[in-house]
This record gives sequence, C-alpha cells and structure tokens, in this order.
Amino acid sequence: MNKLEEIIDQFKDADFQETLELLLDYAEDLPGIPDHFEGELENEANRVPECETPVYLFVDINNNIVNIFADVPPESPTVKGLVSILVTAFDGVSPEEVDSAPMDLLSKLGLAQKLGTRRMYGLGAVYNRIRKEVKNKAILQ
Amino acid sequence: MAEYSNPEVLVSTDWVAEHIDDPGIVIVESNEDILLYETGHIQNAVKVDWQNELQDQLVRDYVNKDDFERLMSEKGISNDHTVVFYGDRSNWWACYAMWTFNVLGHEKCLIMNGGRQKWVDEERPLTKDVAERAKTEYKVPGINESIRAFRDDVITHLEGNNPLIDVRSPKEFTGELTHMEAYPQEGCLRGGHVPTAKNVPWARAANEDGTFKSADELAAIYKEEVGLKDGDDVIAYCRIGERSSHTWFVLSYLLGFQNVRNYDGSWTEWGNLVRAPIEKP
Repeated sequence: MNKLEEIIDQFKDADFQETLELLLDYAEDLPGIPDHFEGELENEANRVPECETPVYLFVDINNNIVNIFADVPPESPTVKGLVSILVTAFDGVSPEEVDSAPMDLLSKLGLAQKLGTRRMYGLGAVYNRIRKEVKNKAILQ
Repeated sequence: MAEYSNPEVLVSTDWVAEHIDDPGIVIVESNEDILLYETGHIQNAVKVDWQNELQDQLVRDYVNKDDFERLMSEKGISNDHTVVFYGDRSNWWACYAMWTFNVLGHEKCLIMNGGRQKWVDEERPLTKDVAERAKTEYKVPGINESIRAFRDDVITHLEGNNPLIDVRSPKEFTGELTHMEAYPQEGCLRGGHVPTAKNVPWARAANEDGTFKSADELAAIYKEEVGLKDGDDVIAYCRIGERSSHTWFVLSYLLGFQNVRNYDGSWTEWGNLVRAPIEKP
C-alpha cells in the first residue's frame, strides 16, 4: 500500500466529524516552505489561480523523485488540509506514482460528499495543478 | 457625520471581549471555511455551518422549523438569547447566518463589526476549546419570509418598477461570467442580470479591515450613486443568496430601509429559468 492508499484508507470510514478532525490534523502538519523559496511567494506563476485562497506550490523533480512544498494561509484550513494530504502522499515518490493516482481522489477521500460540492472547486484545482506540474517537469528530466 | 440607522445591531470587538461570559448572549461563528472555527475561535463561541446546518440537504431551501429547533437546542441557544455573529470574509457568512436566523424567527441578533479578521488582527485570544452549553427547549415563534424574495416576487417587483441590487462582481453582472471568479461554476445556462438591476458588488460596503463603511459612505453608494430612496422596496440578489445577505444587512440595519428582501434563488435560479427576462449591457 502506498502513502496515498493509506490516506484514502484513513478517510474511508471516517464520519463527518472525524473527517474534519483528520483534515485539521493534516492542515496543522503542513511543513513550512524552505527559506530559499520565501521570495517565490511574490511570484504569481507559483500561485494556483483557480483557487480563491492564495495557494503557492513548488514542485521539483530530482533523480526521479518528486519534491513538493506549498504555502497556504492559516485562514483557509480546509485547503491547507488537502494540500498537506497531497504533499504527504506525493513528496518523495516517483512521477509515475503521482500520475497513477486516481482522478477522483476528492471523492475517494469522501470530501466532496462531506464538505459539499461548492467547496470542491478550489481543492480540485490544487490537485490538478500538482499532477500537471509533476507531469511537465518529468518530461523535462 | 450621520449615524447608522440601527447602530445597536453592530457591536465592537471590545464589546464582545467584555461580554464573553454574559449569560444572555451566545456568540456564533459562521465561516465559509468549514474548518476555520476548529483552528481557534472566540472563547464560548459556537459554530454554525451555513451549508451543512442551515440549508436543507435535499430540497433547495433552508432547514425547516423542526430542524432549526433541533439545531438551536443542540447549540444551546434559547429563544431569549441574543446571538452575536462573527465570521470570515468581512462577515459575509455572519450576515448570511443572521439573515437565515431572522427568516426562521430568531430576531435577537447582532453582528460583531470587523468579524474574525479584526479580532485576529487585534491579536485577541482564540481557543480550541469547544464551549459546553446545556441543551435548550427552542421553539420557532414563526417564520419571517418578509425578508425573503422568491422568483415570482421578483417578477412582481419588476412589474412595479421597484429597485433591484445585483451584488455580484462586474463580470458576473455583464454576463461575461456566470459565477464568481475562482469560484465553482454552478451550472447557469444564461449570463447577465435581472433587467433594471444596479450592480453594487457587496464588498464595496466593507472596509479593508472587515468593518462596515460609515453611514455617510454607504449613503453615497446606495442613495446617491444607485438612487435608492427612503421608503423604497428593494430586492438584493447574487448567485445563491449569500453575498446579498451582506447587502441586505447593510440596507436594512445600517441605512434603515424597511423593505429589503434577499432573493436567495438568485442567479443560479434566474439564469436558468425559462423565459425569465435578462438584460445584458
């Protein structure tokens, strides 16, 4: 079982309140971005434009290993929680593993059903952005 | 400088800090982000979620009388309690919750000016402890739909040449977009606005720090610029009726208009309604 499958498993049987608690734990565990990325927070190219919350993503691939860092403001813990799930699942794995992750991940985590569809758009945009960046950067390797 | 028409419905962060333990009030946090309350909230505040707790999960409507009574009882809010709302995004969701509470008959409602943002910016304490409140016996005294407009009301309103305020962004108003920029597309078949509606994006009523603009500034926007006159019957709408509840609050309580209705069907209904008239610039 890879990390993402473990996370899906964690969310699978969680009820509404447990889902919120899990998401909050992830939000609190999102690591800060390394110092040398600080200046990049001004760079709009690193921002996910579809997400109303200012989410900045930095994806890198070295020796066929994906590295992801992200910055999400504390006033958007729901988005921060999902970003943290994605960082936990994809940081340190191969680009192929990211590519093979399920397209309907948000449904698999039960978020669409539990948080309401209106909240899914920005979250979906973050997920797609990571997949796309990993794919693009893997081609350049 | 003019005063707000009902200054007593707005309380300051100082006032809330002094009344945290007041047994006569219940502080309610209402946010767009479903997890924000859990990251820390004002001591003794309870959370109300607009989507999961105030809306019916099957029919497009608000919770019914029985469900609201159950919700209020579980939150520990009695008929005698004064509810003080605050929330994220310049109190947008606090106003939405207040409007819904008013529709469901709870009229003793106040708004903390500046909302969550001002409280946090002032570095006031937040807690993760969820207040334990005793259950209450709550009875809905009556539903108040005089502040709610349905689609047929909008048609009658138009026939009577009454003013409408469209509080969406300019691009939604012109029909270039059918949803807020960066927000979900919720399936509107037509773009544009209800004929004769004036466009005043809701956030124009808010300052940078989340507080409401002064009475003079609000009058300059809604009376001088838009031409609303005292005594006017006004309908405000947006996409699903949440942004327009902020404008409903401003017009009703800060500028004193007596007949303001929020059309909660809003553009997601009107933009899909067969033969509903639409204007595009």
